[in-house]
Formats: sequence, C-alpha cells, structure tokens
Amino acid sequence: MGIPASPLRWLAVAVATATLLGCSPAGNPQANGKTLKITFFRDNTTLVSLDPFQVYWLEHRVVLRNVAESLTDQDPATGKIIPWLAQSWEISPDALEYTFHLRKDVTFSNGTRFDAQAVKTAFDSDKAFVQQLPTTFGGTYLKGYDHAEVLDDSTVKLVLARPNAGFLQATSTTNLAILAPESYAKTAKERSLGAIIGTGPFVLDKYTPETGIRLLKRKGYAWPSANAQNKGEAHLDEVDVSYVPEESVRNGQFVQGQVDILWPRAPFSEVDTQLFQSKGAVIQSRSLPGPSLNLFPNTRGERILGDRNVRLALQKAIDRKTYATTVYSPQFPVVSSLYDTTTPYYKDQGSKLAYDPAAARQLLDQAGWTVGTDGYRYKNGKRLKLQYNLSPAETAGDVLIQDQLRQVGIELKLNVLTTADWAAGNAAGTYDLTSTYMTRADPIILQTIIDPRAANSATVATNLYAPETLPKAEALFDTGMTATDSAQRAKAYGDLQDLLIDEGSAIPVYERVWQAATNARVKNFRWTAEGFALLNDIEIKQP
Amino acid sequence: MSRYVIGRIGQALLVLWGAYSVAYFILYLLPGDPLSIMLSASGVEIDALSPAELAKARAFYGLDQSVLQQYFSLLWGALHGDFGESLAMGRPVSSLLAERLPQTLGLAGVAIVLSLLAGIGLGYLGAYVRWRPLRQLLARLPSLGFSVPVFWIGLLLIQVFAFSLGWLPSTGNHGAASLVLPAITLAIPSAAVYAQVLQRGFQGVWHEPYIVTAYAKGLSRAQVQLRHGFKNAALPLLTLIGLQVGNTVSGAVLVETIFARNGIGRLAQEAVLRQDIPVVLAIVSISAAAFVLVNLLVDLLYPALDPRITHAPRIA
Repeated sequence: MGIPASPLRWLAVAVATATLLGCSPAGNPQANGKTLKITFFRDNTTLVSLDPFQVYWLEHRVVLRNVAESLTDQDPATGKIIPWLAQSWEISPDALEYTFHLRKDVTFSNGTRFDAQAVKTAFDSDKAFVQQLPTTFGGTYLKGYDHAEVLDDSTVKLVLARPNAGFLQATSTTNLAILAPESYAKTAKERSLGAIIGTGPFVLDKYTPETGIRLLKRKGYAWPSANAQNKGEAHLDEVDVSYVPEESVRNGQFVQGQVDILWPRAPFSEVDTQLFQSKGAVIQSRSLPGPSLNLFPNTRGERILGDRNVRLALQKAIDRKTYATTVYSPQFPVVSSLYDTTTPYYKDQGSKLAYDPAAARQLLDQAGWTVGTDGYRYKNGKRLKLQYNLSPAETAGDVLIQDQLRQVGIELKLNVLTTADWAAGNAAGTYDLTSTYMTRADPIILQTIIDPRAANSATVATNLYAPETLPKAEALFDTGMTATDSAQRAKAYGDLQDLLIDEGSAIPVYERVWQAATNARVKNFRWTAEGFALLNDIEIKQP
Repeated sequence: MSRYVIGRIGQALLVLWGAYSVAYFILYLLPGDPLSIMLSASGVEIDALSPAELAKARAFYGLDQSVLQQYFSLLWGALHGDFGESLAMGRPVSSLLAERLPQTLGLAGVAIVLSLLAGIGLGYLGAYVRWRPLRQLLARLPSLGFSVPVFWIGLLLIQVFAFSLGWLPSTGNHGAASLVLPAITLAIPSAAVYAQVLQRGFQGVWHEPYIVTAYAKGLSRAQVQLRHGFKNAALPLLTLIGLQVGNTVSGAVLVETIFARNGIGRLAQEAVLRQDIPVVLAIVSISAAAFVLVNLLVDLLYPALDPRITHAPRIA
C-alpha cells in the first residue's frame, strides 16, 4: 500500500486544495469619492428581469429610471405630465391620437440617435411582446395601442384603437421607456439580463442577479426631464447597487457609513429611525402611488365572506390608527382609502374606515354569528375562522390584525406559504383573504389587480366582488379608462372607491410608505412621482 | 477487496438514485398543482390562461405525460448532466450551477480546513494540558461552539470584525477577505464536533497497551501523544469530515444569506421558496453526489489508514 499513513499529509493536501478553491481574484474596483452606494433588501427572484417593459419590481424601476428615459415625466407634487424626451404633445379630441414632438439633441448610450423611428420601434416591440405574453406587466400600460406613425424625424404619432385615459401617464413610466433599437433586436431574455441601452444619465454597466447592479455616468448627457434640477451630466461617476437580505447586516453597513442610501421595501421601525437619525441620516418618505395595502376577500363558493355584513364587520374591526403608530411610528400616515394618497383621483374614505368594534360586533350578530364560550363566534356549530394566505412570512402587523379580529370574535388563521404556493392558492381560490399590490401613479393600476378582465390573477379579481357588484365595478373601470377629461375620471374613480369600500371588497390596512435612509454625505435626494429617485440630481459632499 | 469496492460504488449509486427519486416525488407529487406552481414561478398565473394555452403549457413542461414517464425522462436528462431549465430565470440549470457552485465550494473548502485546524488543535491541546481548570475549560468549549446558533455567530462576527474593527468586509463575494468571516461561521459547529470526538478518542487511547509500551521505551508524554496517541485517536474524524460535507449545503443556506453571498445555499433557498423544481432537484442531486462521493472515499481510505480494518472476506 503506497498510501501515506499520516493524516497530517492528507490535511496538507486538503489545505492546498481549499486555498486554491477559496481564493478568487479580488475584483473589487477601488471606490472613489463619487460613487453612490445603494443597498436594497433583495433582488426579484420570481421574475429575473431588468427589461423595463416587464419589470414591476420597485427596486429595479428605481435603477431603470436612471438608465432608460421616457417620452414624458410626471410632476411628483401635482401628478401633472411634463416634458422629457418629448418637448410637447397634442392629443386628438377623441383621445385616440397622441402626437409627440421630440427633442433633437438626444442620443442613446451606444451612439444611435433618438428619433421618431426609435420611438416607433420601441412601441411596436413592446406591442409584439404583449402578444407573446399577454400577462406581462407592461401590457396594462400599452392597452389600446395600435400603431405609430413617423411624421418626420422628430415627430411621432401614437395611435390607439381604443381609448386609454392612462396612456399619457403611461408614457412617463419606466415601463414604456424608450430603449435603443439595438436592445429590441436582442431577445427578451438578453434584455432581462441587462442588454438595456437607454438615453439616461447613467449606463447600465453590469447586472449580477441577486448580487447587484453597477451604473456608470453617461458622458455628455444633457436632456433631463423637467423634474430634474441638474441639467447636465450626473454629479456621480458611479452607482453601486447591492442586495443584502439580512436586515441587521444591512442596517449595520449603513450605520458604519459603508452604504450611502439604505432602501429596504418595508418602512423603518421607530428604533431604527432614531438610530439612523442620531448618525446624521435623513429618512426620505413617500407614499407609493397605486393601491394601499388592501386585504381582498373571497366572497365566492359558500365562503364566510360571501356575507356582506361579515365583510363590513371586518372593515370596522381593524384599528388602522393603532396599526400605523405601533407597527411603524406615530408619524406614519393612517390609511384612508384603497388608494394611497399620492395616487391621482384618490378619494378620502377615512370616515368609513374608522375603528368601531361595537358596530362590528353588531354586524356579526345580525349575520347570525354568536359568541361561544371561548370568545370566538359560531354559527351552526362552525367557528368564524378566516384563512389569510400570505407569503413568505407573517409580519408584526399581521399578528396585530389577528389580535384585533379576535377581540370581536373572528379567528384569523395566518396561512404562511411559499411564494409559489401562495400564487397557486390565489388561482385556485382556496383562501378567505389575500393581499397584493402594484405601484403606478395612475388609478388604472387597480385593473391589474382587481379587474378580472385584466388582472394577473383573474380568480382573486373576481372573488372579491359579490356577483351583483362585479358588473358595477367593471362599468366604473371602463368609464375611468375611456374618459377624456379629468372630471369624468375623478367621478369614475371616486365612485369606484366608494363602491369597493361600501361593499367590503377591499379592506385597506396601511398606507404603503416607501422609505430610504440617506446618510449625511448624500445631498439633494428627490422622489419621482412613482416613488423612484433621479440619481443625476444627487451630489455627494462631506458634511 | 475489489469486490468490496464494486459493492460500495454500487451502494453509492443506489443512495444517489434514492435521493433523486425521493426529491422528485416530494416536489412533483406533494401539495399543490405543479403546473400552477411552475407557471407562477415563470411569472404567469394559471387562471389568466385559456384552456388551449393551458394545454400548451402542460405540454411545454412535460406535464402531459404520466408521472412515471416524466420521472424517467427527467432522470435520463439528469444522467446526461441536463437538469433542464430554471423556470424563473429561464436559463439552463447547469449554467446556473456552474456560476454558483465555485462560491460555495470555496466557502465549504475553507470552512472544512478551518474546522479541522481549530477542532484538532483544540482537541489535541485539551488532551495534552494537565492543569485541571484549563483542561476542564478546553473540554467544555466544544459544547459551547456546537450549541450557539450559526446565524448568531455570523451576526456577532460581523458586528465585531466588520463593523467595530473594520478589518473585513461584512458582505459580498469579492476576493479572499470576504470569505473569512463566512468560513469561520460555517466552521465553528464542525470544529466543535471534531474537538469533542478527538478528546474522546484520546481518552480511549491513553489506556491502550501500546501507549504503555511507548512510555516504557522512554518517550516523553509529548512524543507519545504525537506519534502513538494522535494517529489512533484521530481516525473517527475521517467519518466526520464526510458528514460535514453533507452539512455544507444546509449550512450555506444560512451563512450565504447572512453574508449576502451568491452561492448554492442561497440558490437553494430561493428555489425552494418559488418552487423552481428543476433547480431544487439539481441542487439535491449535486449535494447528494458530493456526500456520497466523500463518504465512499472515506470508507475506502480506512483500511489504508488503519490496518486493523480490512474488507477482505474473512477466512474461518
């Protein structure tokens, strides 16, 4: 036997092998003073994509906003549509023809000129993609779009086949950002993994899924949106985005000054806020436009929530004020409609959403649910037990609601599922309550969630209405969609909010406030209308 | 001997096949509709599709075949190194693994080395020291190392070495420096076990006749421990190394999440959450293969390292 008997020799071999395996070349570029470091909570692992048209993931849209630009922008204060790549536009009286007059000085980062033909290529490519994958997120933005006509080099007419009152706002979003024709010549898969060529103040240098994104300054940039204060090149040379899933590590890196902007999905707790502020950080907050965080009931198939009284009891049994103050902070806004306050045509429903446990108990009594010896309510020997499907983990807020409902005799079962099981549960309708949201600064976004004809999950969208309510809601969605003036839209979406709250079809829980902590070096952080940031405005200066 | 080797290799293949099959049947047959899960993993909800589109999707994922047909076609693919495509990422699983595996291998390799060094060092010292309080302390240390939760150690190390002292990066997978803290975190529980087993081994060895003989030859205590004691006391460690390799993937899930590293562990966690079945199946197969292979090597090494162990058929 030629095998050496000494375990030490084996150890030496193992050490050598492991050292070889372990040492990858250090690839960390030396960070200079003009690099902005942003940390998000995680990458989207369900749909791995940076393709603007497909992306719904908020963190990606923050990044894309600075790489790919749109025909228009939206004023974050007023919701008004303002110029960006298009200097001006006209809309025909029937709201079917949108003529955009484009800037003439714009180029893509690959050197190609931005012109009417590029706009046509972008819209036509997006339309072709929807035909392939009708459920893609960008599809709702493009609804009704038929074709584009190149009138001259810098004038393009977008023609709709059906009215879409949200179309002008859609042209301001990252989803309908204009990429270079070269990007559209590539496959959707290549675009998803970072083949994104835009006109923005930053160029996408590298995307490593689940690790991070690097943006580099675009030299010679000079065509920012009317929102931006900086009219020239970005002040930053580089933007490094990283994903750090563990909260304490993420917060620690920020407190240590290793990260400039800490930007997780969930708002900061009171304790964290105070810690960050004590280090000179500023907490930036904005309610995300679109629906607030709502619970959607399942009213179909003999389920308990088929009874309107029980749904309304639920509406009254949730103490939203306590939720906002205890789960988040005393300054946190209390939700006041099924839309967040930053959504155009939001209508205050605060008075109907007041906490009133006595009225809730009365409604449950009327519905025939009587209190048993254990404090829960029963009817025909069956307990009033609601199954709330959630993923991937329950929050402190969920437990709080569970407790609040228990006080009026409702048992809320927090059914924690994997993301995939949760979606399957929604599709199969095996839940009493579920919850989902999307962000867009136009009320039309609600159709992606709760209009069965356009929603991601037709089951969730159908099940939240009692059968007689559904046609009414669909009519209001149609009115909102086809309206040509603002007053008509305000009326339609106001009525829709009244209907959904009065019927207990949407049960708002909290205002979706997005918070970012910026350290003392970061100057001039400003939100866009949809809750992103224009990084070209940001400067890094020692305090 | 060669009959034994062939038998062991056969056993190893059987275990591998068993692991693959059990994983397959759990993933495909237990709760939930695999089509709905796969569609949602690729970003489409099942209730948004028409019956014709459903049939197309079913055929695309091979779900129109019978369970056994699907199983065999997947197994056939896996045997050829083709684990299919990740549903969420739309990329071949093998390229995904090729990208992620080196990160975890590096982490695991360094962790195994560190745990051997620390574990053997501690166990050896514990057996050598004669001053009672120190000996007691060294004997208790492994239980502590084993009972403290991995994530807590990870967070503590980050707090001390990354945040307070600033010596090492807290997250990322760039270069050797970023490997230190995660490898230590992953190494601590294994090192504790090694130390404990080694100490126990020395206790048993001390009373053997050959130790008495060695002393009788006039060797010092240090010489006896090194030349005669250690070789015999350390043999069980070999088996433990085999087990540690098996624990690497599960340990990596935690460690890679805490340190935001991009390896197999986090891939496994994400894939399980979104029920990306081909990815999970591939990771199970790879980690089972590593486990089986290392244990096979360990078993084959034993007779070489310890002449008392023989696999030759006994002659009555």
